[in-house]
Formats: sequence, C-alpha cells, structure tokens
Amino acid sequence: MNLKQFVMILVTVSAACGVNAADRTVIQNKGSDTLVNVAQAWAEKYRDVDASVAVAVSGGGSGTGIAAMINGTVDIANASRKMKKKELKNAKKKGQNPMEHVVGYDALAVFINSANPANQLSFNQLKDIYIRDGKATKWSDLGLKVPGCGSDKIVVVSRQNNSGTYAYFKKAVLGKRGKFRQGTLDMHGSKDVVDLVEKTPCAIGYSGLAYATDHIKMACISKEDGGDCVNPSVKTASDRSYPVARPLFMYTNGEPQGAIKKYMDWIKSDAGQCILSDKGYAPMRDVSCK
Amino acid sequence: MFIESALNVKNQKVQGLFKALFMMMTILLVLPVLIILGTLIYKGGSVISLDFLFSDPTNGMTAGGIFPALVGTVWLVALALMISVPLGVAAAIYLSEYAGDNWFTRFINLAIINLAGVPSIVHALFGVGAFVIFFGFGTSILAASLTLAIMTLPIVIVATRESLQAVPMAFREACWNMGATRWQTIRRIVLPNSISGILTGVILEVSRTTGETAPIMFTGAAFFLPFLPQGVFDQTMAMSLHLFVVSTQVPGVPEALPYGVALVLIAMVLIMNSISIAFRMYLRGQKKW
Repeated sequence: MNLKQFVMILVTVSAACGVNAADRTVIQNKGSDTLVNVAQAWAEKYRDVDASVAVAVSGGGSGTGIAAMINGTVDIANASRKMKKKELKNAKKKGQNPMEHVVGYDALAVFINSANPANQLSFNQLKDIYIRDGKATKWSDLGLKVPGCGSDKIVVVSRQNNSGTYAYFKKAVLGKRGKFRQGTLDMHGSKDVVDLVEKTPCAIGYSGLAYATDHIKMACISKEDGGDCVNPSVKTASDRSYPVARPLFMYTNGEPQGAIKKYMDWIKSDAGQCILSDKGYAPMRDVSCK
Repeated sequence: MFIESALNVKNQKVQGLFKALFMMMTILLVLPVLIILGTLIYKGGSVISLDFLFSDPTNGMTAGGIFPALVGTVWLVALALMISVPLGVAAAIYLSEYAGDNWFTRFINLAIINLAGVPSIVHALFGVGAFVIFFGFGTSILAASLTLAIMTLPIVIVATRESLQAVPMAFREACWNMGATRWQTIRRIVLPNSISGILTGVILEVSRTTGETAPIMFTGAAFFLPFLPQGVFDQTMAMSLHLFVVSTQVPGVPEALPYGVALVLIAMVLIMNSISIAFRMYLRGQKKW
C-alpha cells in the first residue's frame, strides 16, 4: 500500500464517522456481571423500541463499571452493589455526578451439587463455611454425608473481589467486619461458579438466581438455625422474604437526559421489567407479564 | 568388498533410532492441531450456516448468528494493520538501511525486543490509560486497533528487518554505483526483493490480532452491540471476546454454539493466512535470484 492509498482510506474512514455521529446515538453500558445478561437482553429488545439508539453492553464486574463511571467513559454503569462513599468522592473530584437508579432485585442463591443431600442451610452454617477460620471445613461438620465427595472436605467457591456479588455476600453473611476464609476458589464470573459446583460434589458456591440450571441444587435459606427457610425465587426476592436478596443498580452521570433518559424510563417500564423478570431477576414492583 | 563392521552396524541403528524419534516428535506437533480442528468441526460444525454467519445474536445470545462480531473483527484487524504495517516497515527500513551501528540503534533494538515480550494484558492496560482516557478516544475501534497495533509492531519490525537484510549487499552496491540515492535503492531494489518476507510478518500479525482478547476487552470490544460499526469511534463486538462471552458468561448457551464460534474464528485466520501465503508464493515466483 502506498502513502496515497493510506491517506485516502483515512479520509474515507473519518468521513464515515462524521455520518455516523449524526444518525445514531450510542449508549455505553458497562459493569456488573450479574446484570450483564439482563442488560444485554434490554439492549437487544430496545432495538425494536428505538432503532436510532445503539446500546453497547460490556461486563467486567460492578467495580469495573463504577471505575468507568468515575473516569467518565460510560453513560450507564451497572452495579450489583451501592457505590461506596469513597468512590462517590472520587467521582465528584473528576467532575462526575453519579445518580443511582434501582432497576430490580436479585436473589443470591446458594448452590450445592445435585448429589448433596442438604436442603436447608442457615445463616450460621453459611458463616461457618465461608468465614475465615470458620468451624465447618468438612460436610460432616454440618452432619451431612455427600455421595461422591470422598474427601468430605467442603470446596468453598467464591468470587473475585471486584465483584458486587462478592461484596454483597460478604456483608450479608459474614457481617461488616467478616473476612472470607483463606483458600476459597475465586471464580471470575457467576456462570463459572455454577459450572464448577455442578461438576464438583464437594463444592458450595453463591451466585445470582438467574444463573441457576436444571443440574444444580439451591439451598433453602433460613435466618435462624432450624427456623423456617425460604427458597430463592423471583417471587420471594420481590416480596423481600428471601433473606439474601439485593437491589440492582444502574448509575447515570447526573439526571439522565435525552436518549439515556428514554432508555432508563423504558427499563423501569412494564416492558423493561418483564424482560428482567424473564431473565430470572425480581422486578422492582409488581408487573403483570404474559 | 565392503564388510560392515560392528561399529557401522551400531551407527546405522542409532541413526535409524534418531530418525524415528524425530519423526515422532514432528507427528506429535501436528497432533494437537488435528485434534483441535477435529473437535471443533465435530462439535461445532452443526451450527455453521450462512444464516449463522450473517445474522445478529438473538435470545440473550443463546441463538442467532455472529455477524456483528465477524464484521467487528475485520474492522479491528484491518485498522490495526493500517497503523502497524506502515509504522513497522518504516522503522525497519530505518534500522536496516540508514541507522549506523551505535548505542542508539542498539537501544532501539533492545526496546523492540522488550516490547515483544510484554504480556497482552499489560498492553491492554496501557491502551486504556493512553488511548481510551488520555487521548480521549473512548472505548472505540480506534483505541482497540491502536492497542493491537502497538502489541504487534515488533512482529512486523523484526520480520521486515530480517527480510531487508536478506537482500544481498551486492544489489545495493551495484545500485549505488549507478549513481542512485539510498532512497532510490530502497524503493526500486531492496523493497521489491524483500516483499515476501514482509508479508510473512503481516501474516503472523493477522493471526495474532484476530485471536487476541485481552487488549480489546477494555479498549473497544463490547459484550453485546447489535449494530455494525460505522466508524472508528464506534465500539464493536469481536469474535475472540464473543467466544469468551458465550463460553463463560451467558447461561443456557447450547453446547455447539461456542464450538461453532471457535471454528469460524480459526477458519477466518486460516483463510486470511492462505490468501497471503498464496500471494507470497506468487511474489517469490517473480524473484529472479
């Protein structure tokens, strides 16, 4: 290729950008791996609502989305946890003004292998399994015998530490000052957790309800030992009876304007909330979907 | 008459043994390639169709095709080539034809070798800091292609420099003696005679760029973007990231789909390589020495 051709191509390419800016708005949407699949579903369906808007969805974790919001490289950040005070301060320092929108709820299911006979797990038992130097290191410590798990050792599966799921589970189950057990398997995505527990009889893990499959068991969670337990479902997350359900957030820079406002309004509308519910998350209010 | 001594017999045996050993090693090398291709075709061949190649992903990426990712990868690779080939070839020409053997040249060579050793995820972070944030390109094809281009520059530079140096010195001297300038010599004699080597570098670069995921993950590739990019400031989907996403991030993907995506990715690289290899063979045929 000679220089003349190269310059020609550059000119053509930049001309193409000029055209593009005029006829399509792109909304940058990045963050939580918990929300990424529903964000993707929203983006997919929104094409039918407004074809002039393209929503670019990326995952990476709540921390990634929030960092991008602080740096001003996204329009909407997805997060499965609230922004920390420090993060808000950093954002303000960089001239960003993150505004929080609750777009739904997510039940955090505790997954066990389908061979595991456990049905009910209490908060205390979960804490014994997950907290640093906790009492339960073997399934027999919980009075369980798991077929296929010869070593009897509990394989504790967790998430990487910039995950919102990680942060929420830590706060909800281990308490504010609780630390995770050392030597947990930290997976880089909700689906990885489910895949691993599905194949490992000794394992226990946690992830959003939406990642559940037919080949895995979800524990019924009770707040007290031996108390009434609640199964994770869209319904129990919606009515807040399931104890490990958390709000899902989207952050915009300031009050959303124009295309972003229209998109956010659509997400909160019945149509948007039904898509969320269809993906296994709990809507922010009662909606009737077909 | 020649009678084989015991030593001859032993040498023959050792010779045969080593020949068999090295042949086995060579076959072992080919084996993984065949197994990978075989598995991909066996498990993913069923999803490949024109519809798969030319439609958008649907139903939460568990169905439909891969068209936006396919087009995105073509954009990324093409733009990365447009940036790194002129830059790399120019640098190689300077290093091989103009620069003297002094500390500055040696320093540049060292820098190039080190650049080749930098892990791709580090290039990715550099790309975020430099192109996405500092230069303000945002997460875009431009930022991703620039990152890819910088990552693959050493490949182009090294391949070009080697092929320039393979052109016999006598060619240049003959040219200079006719009164040609250095640039005239490079333009008319050295470059035409080394083009096949330069192409080898480009082939290697294409393969590497097509498959890389880390450098584009933060700089320009999107998890989902159901529109074709219309300019270099758009984000895009890409085959490599799409493969990562459908195999690890999305629940309920049919098993054949990731294999199908991988098959298309490999086929893309193979096709692009074949084209340039054919072109290179044609050029070699034109060579008169």
